[in-house]
Formats: sequence, structure tokens, C-alpha cells
Amino acid sequence: MIRFWNKRLKTGILTEAPDIDEELAALRKSLKDEVKKKFAGSLAIRMVDSGSCNACEAECNALSNPYYDLERLGIYFVASPRHADVMLLSGLMTFNMTPHVLDAYAQIPEPKWVVTLGDCPAMQAPFEKTFAVNAPATEHLPVAHHIPGCPPAPDAIIRGLLAFLKKI
Amino acid sequence: MRLIARYAVELEEAYEVVTVWDEQTDRVRVPKSDPHIETLSRTHPAAIWFERKMHDDFGIIIDNAFDNRPLVHQERFPRGLHPMQKHFTQTAIEPAEYLPYKYEAIGGDGVFEVAVGPIHAGIIEPGHFQFSQAGEDMLHQEVRHFYKYRAVEKMLEGKTLQEAKAIIERISGNESVAYQTAWRDIVLQAAKSELPEANRKYHALLLELERIIHHLTDLGFIPNDAGFGAALAFCSKLSEEARRQMQCLTGHRFGFGAISFDEVQIDTEALRVYLDDLEKEMMFFEEWITDIPSLWDRFDTTGILAHHKALKYDTVGVVARASGVAQDRRDNDFYRTHGFVLHTEKSGDVAARFKQRLAEVKNAIVMMRALLTETTESVVLNEVHGGDYTAYAESSLGELFMNIIVKDGIIERFFVRDPSFMNWQALHLMMPGNIIADFPLINKSCDLSYAGNDL
Repeated sequence: MIRFWNKRLKTGILTEAPDIDEELAALRKSLKDEVKKKFAGSLAIRMVDSGSCNACEAECNALSNPYYDLERLGIYFVASPRHADVMLLSGLMTFNMTPHVLDAYAQIPEPKWVVTLGDCPAMQAPFEKTFAVNAPATEHLPVAHHIPGCPPAPDAIIRGLLAFLKKI
Repeated sequence: MRLIARYAVELEEAYEVVTVWDEQTDRVRVPKSDPHIETLSRTHPAAIWFERKMHDDFGIIIDNAFDNRPLVHQERFPRGLHPMQKHFTQTAIEPAEYLPYKYEAIGGDGVFEVAVGPIHAGIIEPGHFQFSQAGEDMLHQEVRHFYKYRAVEKMLEGKTLQEAKAIIERISGNESVAYQTAWRDIVLQAAKSELPEANRKYHALLLELERIIHHLTDLGFIPNDAGFGAALAFCSKLSEEARRQMQCLTGHRFGFGAISFDEVQIDTEALRVYLDDLEKEMMFFEEWITDIPSLWDRFDTTGILAHHKALKYDTVGVVARASGVAQDRRDNDFYRTHGFVLHTEKSGDVAARFKQRLAEVKNAIVMMRALLTETTESVVLNEVHGGDYTAYAESSLGELFMNIIVKDGIIERFFVRDPSFMNWQALHLMMPGNIIADFPLINKSCDLSYAGNDL
């Protein structure tokens, strides 16, 4: 264990605010007020994959790595839709997933928002419409904001979430 | 013989059922008017998903199968519809009346069922697991998937190989380079063109980098599922750094668009420095993690896949190798001259799959050094010839099989068997004798793809 602590001291703090520091500093006050007023100090996200390639999920997982550490912004992912303010939706809304996505959305208490993640739910990825694809998500859910990218990199997701918070 | 894939192709008057083994390929024609085929599932249990899918896709009836339930078509899918048939061209369907799916369940006093999914608690892909429980003990588990079914096979029909590329590389994000490599081999066969050695080395290097990223992610998540979060913090740092290398090399964090026939310049010096650094980090990680007894107490003997079962279920990749099956698509002269060593483990448990990944990361570092090359050449492809083309790749999950039939320059039939399609069918074998709290740990130790499986 002593080796581990040595390593930790040597490595130091990695967390960076890539190049959004200035933007972040400017946004921080209003963001804090918004989150405080609307979300009691913390924004809870329920991530739902409706038929992605798993790259969007990998980038959301990367948000928790030491480089991004999303939770320091008061934004965190929750296990149940009943604990969530926002549904973050990735994927093509497949025929098989559509009823489950709508079910999860129904379980989120009001007020609630849908943010779509990546090009798939907006039908802007290279995938084409088939009988098994129900995207775009806007035809099935009230989408409040869209974060584009294939997949959006972690800093683009952070930026997108900030833009969403500014908007509402 | 090892079963690799089994699928159908629609002809004028008949369906051709193709069964791919490691030693041969069998082709049987069944008339469209009365399509019947005998099941293989009595001797090769993993044939059953292929056969159930074949029925959903084409309406081919499987005789003497132990399981005739729909596979891809779920509760609300219109009955009697077989969308892979050529005459089916609808791009939308209406949900039909809900028809419940009958799960496999074990009966008995006090035995109850636990349903998990399709939407899971974490940031993961959707799929369903149904457990038969005696208290904490798992008696049986059924894996039920295909929630992410996008009908990629149908989507690609009628496209040229070049048009299909952007979709093929997005079938499974974690295996993008592997899918692209298989696509590349098919294009080369169809165009009767050769790939220069330097290009081959560069593409193999990217495939190893993809493997490193994926394994590092798992080396963090597996201990995390056993309650050891520090490993996740450590390895997610390393996997982020590896992903940034992918970004530097290919301009994309997942390598989408990375495999091409264009000339590429590579900054070998920067990559060499990175690899030296990663090697040191891995040495530290291995020493540190091996020294934590409470962690290995959870890993050892948990979720065992016995060697004979790994063979019987025709498993591939990390799962097979951790159970002592010496099977790897990289086991050839090209890879061996670049430092590839086929590593296997014996115990087939979570510990074995963890150690297997560690060994593969270390080997991938050695191979990447040997594969370093300054520049690739631009390749001019000849005209595409029609034909039936097959390619393999060893993705970070295991053996990937791809078959494309090209006719008049466009795709007539596209079939791909993701490694996860085999391994998901063996997952339930690891459950008996373990408690349900160990399921996430066992599942993560295999880390299978849902998107690649469901297509």
C-alpha cells in the first residue's frame, strides 16, 4: 500500500478543465444559481442507451476519469430514472428499445428534460432508417437540447451540458 | 470442429444455409416453398442463436431444436414478418399486440426469479438477464438480448463497399478498428489488390492500441465491481491517455475512419515515449494489484468457465483463452515475427480473465514497438469483382467473422458474427455456484459487446 501512496503523491492532481476554463469561470456563477434554484444544488442524469455503438457510453464513463471528474460540477449519473432530473439519450431509438425508453421517461418525476447525446438520436450518424430504427428521438420525446458528435468527446459533453443549463 | 458462424443467404428459388467451421464450410440449399433445416444445437449449443435468428430473418424452420422462441423479434414485433427476405422493403413497422416472452426458469420450493434490464443501473448498454434464485444462490441465468437491433445487415444491402464503410466502423464502438480491418481485407480480396507491408503494420498497430484501450478500461472496472475503486481511478487515467494516443494517430478517439488506403505519416518517436511510459505504469499496476489479498479473494474461483465447456460452446477471445483454449486469429507468422505470444490461463475464473487482459496489454506494448513504422503507402485499388468474401480479425473481445457477397459492385448480403455472439451464450455457465452479487463482477470480467451482438 505504501507504494500506492508514494505513486499518488508523485502523480498529483490530473483534473483539467480542458480549454473550457474561461467559459467555465464565466458560467460558474450563473450555473451555480441555476443548479441551486432548479436542481437543489445538483443535477442528476439518467443515461439511457437506445441503440448506440457504445462509444457514447464509453465517453460518458470517461467523464468520471481523473482528467474530467464531472462530479466536481455538481453533475452526476444516477441509477434510477426516479432519481433523475434529466434523461441523457444516446442511440437510434431501436424498435425493440422504444417502449423501454418511453417507460424510463415516464418514471422521471416532473420537472424533467431530455437531452440527446451523439449523432444517432438526431439521425445524423451514417446509419440509415430501417424498420428497426425509430430515430429521430424528437418524434417520440420532448427533446430540450442536443449534444452533437460521433461520439462527442468528454469535453464536448461537458460543454453541451453547460449549454443546456444555460438554456433552461 | 469449432463452429464459427451459421447464416442464410437468399437465392432465386432457395435459401442457402452456410455453416462455417474452423476446418470447412458447409452449404445446404433449402427450397423457399418449404424451408426446413436440422438443428446443430444438440452437438454445438451455441448454434441455437444462429438458428433462432435465421428463423426470425428468413422464416426458415429449424427441426428438432430445443428452443424455438423468437430471438431478435421481441414482444411487440409483428408476427410472420421476416425482414431479411429480399422482397421486404418497409422502412417502418407498427408495433403488434404484446405477446409475452417465456423465460427459461427453474421451478421448486422457494425458488424465485429476478429480472434485470433491459436498462441497467450504470452507464452501460441495454440487455436483459433473468435469474432463477434459491436465496442468494444463482441456479440459472438466461441472457436475452437484441434490444439494440438496428438491422445493420439489411441497411448495408445495395451499398458499395466504400459506402458501407462508415456504418461498418460504427457497429461496435469498442471494436471499430477490428471491424475496419475485416472490411479492409474484404475490399482487398474484391479488388484483387495487395496491401504494402508498412500499411499492414500500421493497421495492426492501431488494432493493438484499440485492444490496450479496451483492456485498460476493464482492468479498472473489474476491481471496481469488487469494491476496489482505486484501480478504476488508476486504469481510467491510463485508458484516457491511450485514447488520446488514438486521437493523435488517427484524428479520432475511437479510430473511426482510421483504416484507409491513403498514405499516413506517423510520429514514431512520440509513440515510443508513450509506450515506455505505459510499460512502467503497467509494471507498477501489476505489482500493486497482485498484492491485495481481499481483491483476489473475490476474483479467485468466481464465475468459472471450465475448459471443456469453453470448447463445447465454441467460445472465442479473452473468455476462451482464460479457460485454456489456445485460439487467437493473430496466431500467424506476421504477428509472431512482430512479437505476438499466445497467452492462456487455466482457471477460467474472474481472476484468469483479469490476468489474461493484463498479459495481453503487456504483449500489445511489445508488439506495438515492433510494428512502429514511419509512413504508409497510398494504395490504388483495382475494380471491384463480384464474389463471396470472408475476413477475420481478432478484436479486443475475440475472433470477428465477416462475410460480404458482392454482386454487380454492390453488397448483396452482409453478415458479421461478433465475438460476443458466441460468448454471451456461454455466460450462464459461469453462474451456478455463485451468488447474485457476483453477477456484475463475472459479467464485467467478460465485458461483452451488446451492440456488436445485436447488430
